[in-house]
Amino acid sequence: MPPLAIEVRGIRRVYSAKPAPVVALDRVDLHVAPGEFFGLLGPNGAGKTTLIKILTTLLLPSAGTARVFGFDVERDTKKIRRIMNMVAGGEQSGYGILTVREQLWMFTQFYGLAGGDGWRRVDELIEAVGLTEQRIQRVSTLSTGQRQKMNLARGLLNDPWILFLDEPTLGLDVSAARSLRELIVDWKRAVPGRTILLTTHYMAEADELCDRIAIVDHGRILAIGSPDELKRRVQRESIFRLELDHLDGGVATLVRLPGVVSASEAAGAIDAATRQTVVMNLVLEDDGVLGQVVGALARTGSEILGLRKSEPTLEDVFVELVGRGFAESDAEAAGKAG
Amino acid sequence: MAGIIDLVGRAGIGPHEAADWSRRQELMTDLRSVRGRAYPRVIGLAREPSWVLFEILLPFLATAAFVFVYRAIGAPQEYVGFVVLGGALTAFWLNVIWMMANQLYWEKSQGNLELYFAAPMHFMSILFGMAIGGIVMSTTRAATVLLIAGLVFGVTFSVDQWALLLGVFLLTLAALYGLGMVLASLFLVWGREAWHMGQMLTEPVYFVSGLNFPVARLGFLGALSVAFIPLATGLDAMRQLAFTDAAFPLGTPDPLLEVAILTVMTVVSILAARWMLITMERRARRDGRLSIRWQ
Amino acid sequence: MAVSATSAPVPAPARFDFAKAEGNGIRDFLRTFAVAVRLGWQLEANWTDPLLFFIYSVAKPVSSALILVVMLEVIGGPSGRAFRPFVVVGSALWSFVVSGIAGLAFSILEDRERFRMLKYVYVSPSDFLTVLVGRGVARVGVGLAGAAITVAVGVVVLGVPFDLGSVNWPLFVTVFLLGLWSIVAVGLLMAGVVIQTRQESWSYPEAFAGALFLVAGAVFPLAVLPALVQVIGLLTPLSWWIAGIREALFPGGPGSIGGAGSVFAGAFGHAQPGPLEIVLALMATGAIATLGAVAVFRVSDRRAKQAGLYDRTTGS
Repeated sequence: MPPLAIEVRGIRRVYSAKPAPVVALDRVDLHVAPGEFFGLLGPNGAGKTTLIKILTTLLLPSAGTARVFGFDVERDTKKIRRIMNMVAGGEQSGYGILTVREQLWMFTQFYGLAGGDGWRRVDELIEAVGLTEQRIQRVSTLSTGQRQKMNLARGLLNDPWILFLDEPTLGLDVSAARSLRELIVDWKRAVPGRTILLTTHYMAEADELCDRIAIVDHGRILAIGSPDELKRRVQRESIFRLELDHLDGGVATLVRLPGVVSASEAAGAIDAATRQTVVMNLVLEDDGVLGQVVGALARTGSEILGLRKSEPTLEDVFVELVGRGFAESDAEAAGKAG
Repeated sequence: MAGIIDLVGRAGIGPHEAADWSRRQELMTDLRSVRGRAYPRVIGLAREPSWVLFEILLPFLATAAFVFVYRAIGAPQEYVGFVVLGGALTAFWLNVIWMMANQLYWEKSQGNLELYFAAPMHFMSILFGMAIGGIVMSTTRAATVLLIAGLVFGVTFSVDQWALLLGVFLLTLAALYGLGMVLASLFLVWGREAWHMGQMLTEPVYFVSGLNFPVARLGFLGALSVAFIPLATGLDAMRQLAFTDAAFPLGTPDPLLEVAILTVMTVVSILAARWMLITMERRARRDGRLSIRWQ
Repeated sequence: MAVSATSAPVPAPARFDFAKAEGNGIRDFLRTFAVAVRLGWQLEANWTDPLLFFIYSVAKPVSSALILVVMLEVIGGPSGRAFRPFVVVGSALWSFVVSGIAGLAFSILEDRERFRMLKYVYVSPSDFLTVLVGRGVARVGVGLAGAAITVAVGVVVLGVPFDLGSVNWPLFVTVFLLGLWSIVAVGLLMAGVVIQTRQESWSYPEAFAGALFLVAGAVFPLAVLPALVQVIGLLTPLSWWIAGIREALFPGGPGSIGGAGSVFAGAFGHAQPGPLEIVLALMATGAIATLGAVAVFRVSDRRAKQAGLYDRTTGS
């Protein structure tokens, strides 16, 4: 059986600090299969970056083991470094005096590409990330978005099997962030087995990109699953918003049906003057109950004008798991830092 | 993204095969890393020409000031040559202090250090690359100082053993930059105080190295310098080989002895630099200090 | 978000206080300057091991003086010792000059390349020039301490004859303050230069000071220089400052300006400048240096804004 792309067992990382040591990771277990796009979602200070640093061989765990494609992060550092790369948001690495092309070429040398091969690879990547016009521009003059594209190109120079992305769209505008996400997805799709570990605290980004997500807070993984699975955890019932031309007998007609948990008229949604439509929120035990509801409405002569399923977001999942929203968590982390 | 799709250089090779490098691959990667790290330094010379003024012409004027001190007190002409040679070698010393010893601290604050550690080459390649880039920069400055001073002040060299002089020069560079590699790790550990350490290693070292006079004039202090400071050893040996007509004070070590000292210095400093890098990386990984700024 | 009619009334926006935008003139200047001085001192001293800081601020200037003392000893032996007070005082003063010149330029480089704070300092309501000068004051203080200790070492250890009672204090204070002004002006000029240059410009202020070392008569009389270089020296305020301080500390001693066959003697008809001449020349050359430095700094500032240099980092 091929090794997992990431295998983390009981990882704990404690930073010595005053007045008390800081536990950044607390007995974390994680398995990521080759080819997965895996997300670590959590507020600032949750321990996401610490986990990435351990996996990229920059930091030793205080306890536990971690492996990347079967290679131990403590012992097999060189082997891991040959097959991985990393890109962080807001990264200012390199030398401002170099052009984009030269900067990237310099990094190809650190990964052992021959001089000519390095230039070719750089040119292809520059084109791929859309920096052709800036290729001979000095790095110090790039915009934030252009800089991050260059950083992504740097991360792909060695054609890594596993790419660690630490908040890669941090500080980018909507368009630049979208463009970067598309690049990442395209790169990963191109070859089966390429694996990505993404940390982010943008819910939509994790939702859009990741096959599976781990929600992290205070150094612990609170839940792991696909975005749909995680959302289902907080939405045990199915919620629909229903618009009818009329409803004889009111919502009580529907509440009596088996499998209907509740039905209520949406506040302020009824055209009170003419009473031409009825809008209601319907909570069902599962989606299968919807058929009975539709049948019952047909029997009463109601016409369905609109039907929309209400989906929970990852924010709802986070609130459910942590008991507070992301913004509050970030504020708490900032308060501790300050 | 067609480009990236086409770029898969190891189609059919899994991550385990990709991680398994031959000795040759490792060696080539290290050599290419040396070239890669030297590149920005060499290319930087052409990119910002202000260094010609500030790193060649103005330091030459500072060297010239000491020539005039000797002229003011009627010193023999070979002392003018001593000053000029000292001025040329300070280019390397300053480069070692500011662009070797201080560099890793700066790389860390810039965010480069963790990328270097996360790349597969040996970190010594980065230090060698920095050194080679620095040597190119400083050699330009040193050669210019020698050339201009030779023309302006009429310095004449009397050399009997050119090969030995060249050998001593190269050994001096090796020992100097070896020391720079050791200091790079030390300065990284010292963090913010590194700046002050750099300051301390300029004028005081110039003095004990006999920058403008034969180091043997300092007696025991001079002997200590020759034993431990490559600038003092190399400068003294090169003076003896470049000005064979000059009279050197009693106690001046034989150039061949200084060659032996420089050789030992080079070997010890490079081994020490390697050991310190490994130790520093282990400590930094343990303490989480590879990427924390301003420490 | 809709707001219902029953919601609490939205408070009226606070009125913009134009007086705040106007600032408080001299009070703002003094506050900015004081904060900058304090910050400069903290950066310079508080983050550093005090012993190391002491060694650094003393070891450098004393070593510079010792290099020259040994040079004299090597060539002149006991007869060279007559020249010792000249080089010790000149060397001590020069270490102070280097600190002053480097202070402002290092503030630019540190804030831009190391702390990445330059752009925030620049856009703050504080006057940028005031902040820069304030930051540089800390290094001037360090340089002053180093210079005083070097002179003390010269007197106590190297046998430099010095009589506190014979010092011309009015001349000393006048020349010192005027010279300090000129040093800061040259520092400002260097700050303007390093705004434009790359990260490795750390050595530039010292290189520039090293070049001035040749023409300022710090450790040898200007008369030994070629005539054209002597003229450049006479146009440099630092030459007059050093000559003035020497004259104040050792009245009637050997001076760095003038002497038989010198350009000064040829132009003014007497061998050495008197105290009044020194003060007037220092004022005149200091004023020219200040105007030149401010002009260079303003041009550099404008170019930096055009090219976006305040928030870049370079390096190689």
